[in-house]
Amino acid sequence: MEYRKTIGIEVHCELKTKEKIFSPSLSNYGSIANTNANIIDMAYPGVLPQFNSEVLSFAIKACHVLNLNITKKMHFDRKNYFYADNPKNFQITQNETPIGTNGYVEIDINGKKKKIEILEMHIEEDTCKSVHSDKYSLLDYNRAGVPLIEIVTKPCMESALEAVKYLEKLRELLLYAGVSDCKIEEGSMRCDTNVSISKTNELGTKIEVKNIGSISNVGEAINYEAKRQEEILEKGEKLREETRRFDDKTRTTILMRVKETGNDYRYFPEPDIPYVNLTDDFIHDAINELSRMPDERRKDYEKSGILPINIEKIIANKEISDYLENFLDINLVIASNLLLGDIQSYLNKNNLKIEDTKLTHQKFRDLVNKLDKKEINNKIFKDILIDIMETSKDIDDIICDKGLNVSFDDNLLNSIIDNVLSNNEKIISDYKNGNTRSAKALMGLIMKEGKGKIDPSAANEKLMEKLNSL
Amino acid sequence: MSKYLDLSLKEIHELLKKGEITPTILVNECFEKIENSNLNAFINTYKDYALLEAKKLEEMNVPDDILFGIPIAIKDNIMVKDMKCTCASRMLDNFVSIYDAGCIDYIKDHHMIIVGKTNMDEFAMGSTSETSYYGAPHNPWNYNKTTGGSSGGSAAVVSIGIVPLALGSDTGGSVRQPSSFCGIVGMKPTYGRISRHGLVAYGSSLDQVGVMSRNVYENAILLNAISHLDKRDLTSFDTDIDFTREIDKPLENFKVAIPSFFISDIIDPEVKEKIMNIKKILEDNKIQVDIVDIKYIDKTAILYQIIAMGEASSNLARFDGIKYGYSYPNPASLDDLYKKTRRYGFGEEVKRRIMVGSYLLSGENAKIYYNKALEIRDDLKKNFLDAFKKYDLIIGPTAARCAYDLGMNQNDPLKGFMDDILVMHANMGGFPSLSMPIGLNRENLPIGLQIIGNLYKEDTIYQLASFIEKKVKFDSKKVRNGI
Repeated sequence: MEYRKTIGIEVHCELKTKEKIFSPSLSNYGSIANTNANIIDMAYPGVLPQFNSEVLSFAIKACHVLNLNITKKMHFDRKNYFYADNPKNFQITQNETPIGTNGYVEIDINGKKKKIEILEMHIEEDTCKSVHSDKYSLLDYNRAGVPLIEIVTKPCMESALEAVKYLEKLRELLLYAGVSDCKIEEGSMRCDTNVSISKTNELGTKIEVKNIGSISNVGEAINYEAKRQEEILEKGEKLREETRRFDDKTRTTILMRVKETGNDYRYFPEPDIPYVNLTDDFIHDAINELSRMPDERRKDYEKSGILPINIEKIIANKEISDYLENFLDINLVIASNLLLGDIQSYLNKNNLKIEDTKLTHQKFRDLVNKLDKKEINNKIFKDILIDIMETSKDIDDIICDKGLNVSFDDNLLNSIIDNVLSNNEKIISDYKNGNTRSAKALMGLIMKEGKGKIDPSAANEKLMEKLNSL
Repeated sequence: MSKYLDLSLKEIHELLKKGEITPTILVNECFEKIENSNLNAFINTYKDYALLEAKKLEEMNVPDDILFGIPIAIKDNIMVKDMKCTCASRMLDNFVSIYDAGCIDYIKDHHMIIVGKTNMDEFAMGSTSETSYYGAPHNPWNYNKTTGGSSGGSAAVVSIGIVPLALGSDTGGSVRQPSSFCGIVGMKPTYGRISRHGLVAYGSSLDQVGVMSRNVYENAILLNAISHLDKRDLTSFDTDIDFTREIDKPLENFKVAIPSFFISDIIDPEVKEKIMNIKKILEDNKIQVDIVDIKYIDKTAILYQIIAMGEASSNLARFDGIKYGYSYPNPASLDDLYKKTRRYGFGEEVKRRIMVGSYLLSGENAKIYYNKALEIRDDLKKNFLDAFKKYDLIIGPTAARCAYDLGMNQNDPLKGFMDDILVMHANMGGFPSLSMPIGLNRENLPIGLQIIGNLYKEDTIYQLASFIEKKVKFDSKKVRNGI
């Protein structure tokens, strides 16, 4: 009989509120060390926590997208432990009344849906970031007090694939809820995984793997860890509860510490923060601010005929997807192709965001509609892209200024073609004698005459029609 | 030596207005008194700063504010920018504050002059001020007696007349008990009345800044000045009332309760006699005084200790040698830094309370002790609220006995806890409570009356206190003129 894996995951996500949770210091990532730190963050004697209610609104949004029940009357607790990165030597967290309970995230495993059950989600403050060297450690208080949510699943996953799918989905939901950047590499999303194996219905010894640097590494760590545990059990040895970390270089897990009998955090209710009563209005207001979640967007994209591979590309790039939310009434295939293709490369090349350019919503709408109605073609679009992005002129003016205004006036097209045909009888007879290249020569002459004012594909169509009827 | 500081604030203000005296004269008088006293009541004084401030004020027109230019002393657990804030601990011996406490903002707004930081029990843990790293202050009424504590230094300096006003802090009687021992008026207002921002925390759910003065009116004036909503303290509130508004109004249909526990056998007979005398004065003035039973009132001192020590063990965890304050040099490891910094930085009583507090919150103990204490605290508060449905105020002694000999409580941690048994109910329930002198015992030591009011009812307390003050005519000058 084979060993079954049981996996539970704890995820910490930094909420991207403007200010920290218990102090008015800024909460942004990447500032010079210790510049976003005040007397509260540094746990000066005599300071008390203040409260940033934006955190509640963000946490409510997270609860909503993770299908969690929201705890309306809640409080904060102190978790007491000494460590250098913990300025007060207690962390303000929620032990007794987590803001969210009993939720789930639905994942898709080879076409089969599975609900990953979430036990609870609570709010807490982040610690200092510490950098260790041989002789000393450095502390960055910028991170101390950044709001976190911790999301804890039940031990309900059975494979590395499920774990990876869960994390991808969780990341996507929190990203689209607009509550966190969820960047594992910057530490704004951190995954701790509990893995145990067993041949019976009873759960095996739980081993925690911390500090895993990417979602795919979570999968790798789980498989490695399950195999390691199996080898130990097969040798007839016993496992002990321990905390390990995933080592990027060796692709193995390494022992950090053996767990002793239950950590004693001496929890008690934080006396400096009154109980929080979330009103229905406050909850509704927060939820109403949510934009549409990815699965809903996917449905629209599918309906509009965007290729599945492109749908996932759009969803993976929230900026593009958010941008498209303004244009659901126009041709989404063209719109998404532009955004994923030429516009994206322009932005990447110039290291810009779409809102840094002169591409207004109206201009983008015009552009897509003109392409859709074939008023311009892809070649013209490429010619005018830079002008679209860098000038305030509208599309018509750009085309006109560049002399690219294509006419769809049949009379003009007819007269140009007729004129070319009547002056080039030699080439026409070559064509009639089977020289297909002659048609191209005629096209060249027509386009020259039309000076970019005519649509090549329409001209070609018309020319062939006329040639064949001669 | 001038004796302007012995005058009432109103009289001093008139002289300042008329230009007959200046803030500099007041500051100089204050420092003369400091230099001539040997009470060990200050930890640090700031003469240069005070004189500089006084000079600045002389360039201003004297506003209609009787606090203008008045010297004040601040307990050394309240932050004043650029002054040391030691909490009477080696841990913060050299700690200079970089910010002003919420209440200090208002002291400065009213142009009061801070002359120094007063002695206290280390981190406010004690009731004799003897746990101070700097040694105990002495009681102005008798050099060998304790000032009480933990705000002993503040009580002593007001009592001896160095300053008319002082700030203290009160977690379980720490303003009222030393006020009683030193014969002054001390008020612990409703929890949240004065911002705790900048008050070094002991028991967060119990701590309140308190005001100390020579008489009732001036006490209410100082409370008016520093009571404000402060967004830096989530438990603070604002009601915008004038605490002097009921003073001198007739006590019509007033009803007062004395809990039977407050006049039981644990109370010194002389103290009890003075309380019964107050009862008689009130009854002679047609005020109903009933002796009542309040459930749990005699059993909650131990619960108070559980809550205070539990919270203290967490609040004092931040003193770890990493960020500020004392730091053990060249530690072998992070754990070594923690252990040695705290071993040598804290005194015995502080360590004892941290250890007991940590134990009380450990594992299952949190449920057995701390959470249980919180439950009974709610019941106690409810019982007091019930009493306030029938009675305007509750009165009794502030302390079971008068100031006792220095050194008496040392090496017996339980003895000091006796000092909490009449005063900590107000902290447990968040009620305002005042202590005022009502006479002397045979040893010429002051006896204090405690008046507890319903939440937010400081004005009613002042009303009765002012009435009693006029009746008993306690001579606070006696201590300054030589007893």
